[in-house]
Amino acid sequence: MERKKRSFFEELINFMDSSWDEETSIMQPLYNIFLKPNEVVVTVDLPYVDLNKIEVKAVEDKLEVLAKTKEAICLSKFGLKHRSGEFNCYHIVVQIPVPVDWRKLTYRLKRGILEVHLPRL
Amino acid sequence: MEIRFIEKEPVPKKFILINALPDVGLVGVIAATHLISSLKMKEIAYLDSEIFPPIIVLHEGEPKSPIRILANHSLAVLISETAVPAEAIHPLANAIVNWASSKNVEYVISLGGVAVQNRQDIDSPKVFAVLTDKKLMKIIGDSAEIMEEGYIVGTYALMIKKCMEIKLPAITLLAQSFFSYPDPEAAAATIKVLNKILNLNIDVSELLQKGEEIRLRAKDIMRRTQAELIKMNKAQEYDLPPLYM
Repeated sequence: MERKKRSFFEELINFMDSSWDEETSIMQPLYNIFLKPNEVVVTVDLPYVDLNKIEVKAVEDKLEVLAKTKEAICLSKFGLKHRSGEFNCYHIVVQIPVPVDWRKLTYRLKRGILEVHLPRL
Repeated sequence: MEIRFIEKEPVPKKFILINALPDVGLVGVIAATHLISSLKMKEIAYLDSEIFPPIIVLHEGEPKSPIRILANHSLAVLISETAVPAEAIHPLANAIVNWASSKNVEYVISLGGVAVQNRQDIDSPKVFAVLTDKKLMKIIGDSAEIMEEGYIVGTYALMIKKCMEIKLPAITLLAQSFFSYPDPEAAAATIKVLNKILNLNIDVSELLQKGEEIRLRAKDIMRRTQAELIKMNKAQEYDLPPLYM
């Protein structure tokens, strides 16, 4: 019964898991994590973002990316009338599953994709 | 489970069917959307089944099936605006090929991507072709490289098998793309190949200019497509095939 209840709530959370948070004006970007023999590479798709508007930092064993868009993105731009909202920021926190040397973190933005390199310890 | 094709308008007498199902980089869906608007295609049919998600999509106030066929006099495009559930790909692939063979389809072209890890460093994505019959080389010419070795996973793999079984000629065009990020540049590369093989003149500059907007608009369907691709073991496309025997 307890397991059933948990599964129901997990499904409900998944259902409500929108990548557009209208209350905070934050969008969750698409991202990937690649575990390579000598490094961990995290990529994040960031359309409408310039390199100088990206903040990348370590929070314990997680990578946090905050990126401001060049312009506000309104849902009305996509023809939506039943929802309103203006978005100006992407935010993602990625759990890094293996020990890495955070001091040697490097990143670049190419083709609108942020690529973060974290050498493994 | 049955998949029904509901034809709203007459189907062209003789045509080429282009498939654009959500796949890596959403290459086919992005390319087909541009193709449909450039050629001002009209909806002629839609697909329905109990195995599809309970979804309709609204465009200009009109409810539509997310999986539908748009056409002009000689070309038809089958496009899905929703991720296809992994459980639905077998019946969907069979249904599309059976429908195509029941009509006067000359041949089928499926548009998609082939994921490459260094996509960020590729300025001009190459397009590779998978042919069900060597005679199709005459159509492809030098517009795309033939994929000689490798794996194809997913709906297009099933469609290739089915087309070979019933001898319906099929070309699958796969552009180098991101795995899980919408890739308008890869979509533009497939359209350039279509321009050559179908003698079209579709301008891709607008598609490339709107790249950021397309990536943003497509991020939710990409997220849902990625989840289905993982269920299909799509990453096996990165594997090396065993020795040819």
